Amino acid sequence: MDMAINIASWAALLGGGFFYLVGAVGLNRMPDFFARMHAASVSETLGAGLLVLGMLLQAGPTLVAAKLVIILLVLLTTGSVATHALARAALHDGEKPLVAGEDGKLAAVDPDTLFTGLGARLAAPLRSETVEQPEQDPSKP
Amino acid sequence: MFQAAIIAVLVSLVLAVWRALAGPTVFDRLLAANAIGTGTILLLALFGFMTGRPEFLDIGILYALLNMIGTLAVLKFFRYGGLGHRGEDEETGA
Repeated sequence: MDMAINIASWAALLGGGFFYLVGAVGLNRMPDFFARMHAASVSETLGAGLLVLGMLLQAGPTLVAAKLVIILLVLLTTGSVATHALARAALHDGEKPLVAGEDGKLAAVDPDTLFTGLGARLAAPLRSETVEQPEQDPSKP
Repeated sequence: MFQAAIIAVLVSLVLAVWRALAGPTVFDRLLAANAIGTGTILLLALFGFMTGRPEFLDIGILYALLNMIGTLAVLKFFRYGGLGHRGEDEETGA
């Protein structure tokens, strides 16, 4: 039983290390910013998840395992939020994604042509940023 | 096995630093900084397990919280894609 848990833990650690490395290589080799962001999220989800799973199997049901789960939850939530905000900031800044054309060549494309109305939506303030006007009650002075 | 995972994370950190130095846009650098933060947390946890001292996880949790606050602060800073965004006072003020 111990041996089986050890083997599963080693497999998870090796797989996690592999995917972490793949994400980091993609971070350097991908052609444009959005593709690089896609590669980075591989290491932040699959790589980190497998590494933490491997450590969880080694730790057993202890306080250490609870701390590992906390770390994983924080990593998963902040990673997705940061990626979303980063993509929005990049689009807002006019970063153009590379899209394969008819001839299969990559070309920078204005994102407004891919998603109609994207520019207007990006320019509009976020719902959390709009200040709600206090309602005017006519019965009170 | 922890050694292999630590080596993988260390190589990934070097690659992320490379991207942070070379990144053509500021967003590339931010992405790399985020990746470095994640790598640091995992490295701390793995190192603690390798040396048989899982107390290192507390430091990992601390780094995770710092990383979260840092990322959100920087992203709010870059909400308008640059440093030159006018503040509210400047817009409404005379």
